[in-house]
Formats: sequence, structure tokens, C-alpha cells
Amino acid sequence: MAGIAALSVAVSAAATLLAALFAVPGALWIVHGRSRLRGALLALFAAGLGLPPVAVGLAVAFALWRSGPLGSLDALYTPAAMVVAQTIVVLPLIGTLAVLALRGGDPTLPMQLAALGLPRGQRAALLAREVAPGLAAALLAGFGRAIAEVGAAQMTGGNIEAHTRVLTTATMLAVGRGEFGQAFAYVAVLLGIVAVAAGTALALQRRWA
Amino acid sequence: MGVTATDLIARRGAFTLNVPAFAASAAGTAVLGPNGAGKTTLLLALQGLIPANGRVERPARCAAVFARPAVLRGSALWNVAVVAGSVLGCTVTEAESRARRALADVGLDEAVHADARTLSTGQRQRLALARALACEPEALFLDEPFANADADGRPALRALVRSWAERSGCAVVLATSSLADAAAVCADALVLRAGSVVHRGPVSALDTVADGYVAALVAEGRIVR
Repeated sequence: MAGIAALSVAVSAAATLLAALFAVPGALWIVHGRSRLRGALLALFAAGLGLPPVAVGLAVAFALWRSGPLGSLDALYTPAAMVVAQTIVVLPLIGTLAVLALRGGDPTLPMQLAALGLPRGQRAALLAREVAPGLAAALLAGFGRAIAEVGAAQMTGGNIEAHTRVLTTATMLAVGRGEFGQAFAYVAVLLGIVAVAAGTALALQRRWA
Repeated sequence: MGVTATDLIARRGAFTLNVPAFAASAAGTAVLGPNGAGKTTLLLALQGLIPANGRVERPARCAAVFARPAVLRGSALWNVAVVAGSVLGCTVTEAESRARRALADVGLDEAVHADARTLSTGQRQRLALARALACEPEALFLDEPFANADADGRPALRALVRSWAERSGCAVVLATSSLADAAAVCADALVLRAGSVVHRGPVSALDTVADGYVAALVAEGRIVR
């Protein structure tokens, strides 16, 4: 059980951080950039909110299939494949929430800090501090979606014991076997992890408010 | 060193600002004009915050108060101290004592520990003025800084800016819709209308200017007096 829970947290946390690596700069570009393509990326983020994890899982599994375009990587049914799939699942959510967080503040703040003669690095640090609560909320929401999804994890991980089995896929298997006690135990741990994540988000928001 | 500009042209959307010559010293230059005349655009262009053509010279250390000041998450004291500390490169303790002095100067000593985001617009403008003065600027760009101040607090704020300019030699550029503000802080005036300069000269001679807006401003000033 501990190994399954640990893998769940590790895969989902890695996917969240990887998604943030693309989503946050993307959100910064949408909010502060000048290109006309910004609207297209925002639309892509918004459309991606409803992306079914099972569809993402199918696409990633197809790509990594032995005879697929990325089959030579031999990565299907590995935690890495699950991370990639979950990254795609949570990226639009983190991107959309990051855009909302970045837009929440006074849009003239960067200019006003520049007008006070603050060096560029200091300005960036202060602006980051302003949006930190919103970005933290975006990351924790992304983590919550990643750890709760089952379709992508099942398709790309294959639910292999002690290798790619996570709490959601383990729950499905337990129910399939009629082991409801075990299934409830997995779900209880899953809910506990989600509760800790949500509690952390709330505590951070309160501290930063 | 003051703030000077020649052949300044700045565009914001369909609006074009055209100022052939501008100068501000510690004596202060008020930028007057009806809404949409280009006062804020001129201030932003002089500070190099928006793209503009022409030649602008300004001191290395400038500070500004915007018409709607943006504040950071945290106390009023922190807001001023973090900016002053960063600009002047001083220690946290020194930045805080500077911030306390600046906040007391603008009459915000009671609100030092208040969350800056909960302050009223007038208080935010005072905070922004304290933040700007704590940076010890050599040029100060003020955009309607007293617009939301209480009537009984306004003279003290005007006097604060004037005395700071006299003491430090800091150039002052003040965009305002109030002749009283202009007269109390600045010796010179520049009147804009639809992006063009319609008058340049001493504030004291504005009553001789043949312009409808200026005439209304002067008349309003007389009624108030």
C-alpha cells in the first residue's frame, strides 16, 4: 500500500511540476506578451480543461506502442509514460489557473515598480511574490487532478504491480476482483492525500492573504 | 539635473502626443489639460515607460506616483521599505526607518501596519508618495497625486513635495487638473489639449492665457479662493 501511494504521489507531483514548467511561462506569455497567437494558446488551455484523461492515455499509449512513432523509446508501461500522460492532462488546468492568477493583480504594477527605479531582478522577485498564492493554488489543483485520474495512468502504466500501480488503478483492479475492503482502503488513502494537498493550499492562501 | 525633452512624439493607440519642448527643474513644472489631453502619456514618455520618439534627458534616479497607485501584498511599512531598500541598496533596518519617516511625512503614521490593499484610494496615494520620496529621487513624476486626498490634508501634501524639491533639488513634474495643486507645487506650467501644447509659461501668468480650458481653471480657482 505504501509503495502504491508513494508512486501515486511521485508520478502526479512530477507531472504537475513538468506541466508547470510549460504552463506558467505560457501563462506569462498570454498575460504579458504582445503576439496575436496568445489568444490561440489561451483557447487551447480552455479547450484542454475538458480533455478526457482516457483520450490522452490513448494518444500517449499509441505513440509509445512498440510499432508506434516513439516505440523505440521502450517507455510504455513505465512511470515515465504515466508522467507524460498526466502532464498533458493537467497542463491546461494549470495554464488556465495561472492566467487567472497573473491577471488578478493590478496590470500596471510592473510599470509602477519600474517607475520607482527598481532593478529588473528585484521587480521580477516582487511580481513573483504577488502571484505566488494564485500559482500555488494552480499547482495544487493540477496535482489534485493528476492523482485522481485513472484513464491515462491505466493506459500508459498498465497497472503493473510494484512498477506502475497507483492508487486509482489499484482501486479499479480491487473492485474488479470483488475486494471492496481493499478498494475502500485505497480510496481512503487517495482522499487523505487530496485532503492534505487541499489543506496545504488553504494554509498557504491564508498565510499569504 | 532636471528633466528635459525635445521633439517628443508618443503614440498610444490612435492618440498622438506631440511636445516640441519640455523642461522641469526643482522649481516644478505642472502639466495641465482637460481629460484625455495627454498628461499621463507625457509623464510616461518622459520616464521612458512607453515608446516615444525624440530626445529625453532625466536623472538616473526617478520615482513616480501614478494616478491609481498599485500596492504590494503586505503592510504599508513593508511596501515602502522594500522599494526604498532595493533602490537605495540599504539595510533592512535603515529601509524601515526611512519608510517610517516617509509614512509619517505623508500622514500615514497611524496606518503603518495596515494591509496596503485595504487602504482607501486617498491613503494609497499617500503611500505611493511616501514610497516615491523614500527612494530619494532626483526627479519626481506625479500624476494627480492629491486628487483623492482630504481637503484638509491636501495643503500639507503639496507643501511636502515643494519642500522636498527645494531641499534636494529634485525635479518635479506634476500632472494635475487643479490650479491650486499647480500653483502650490510648481513655478511653470505646460497646458496640453488633444496631445498638443497650447501654452507654456509661469503658473502665475496662466490668467492671461487665451484658452477656454485655462480660463475655466483660473475662474474655478478664483471661486474657491
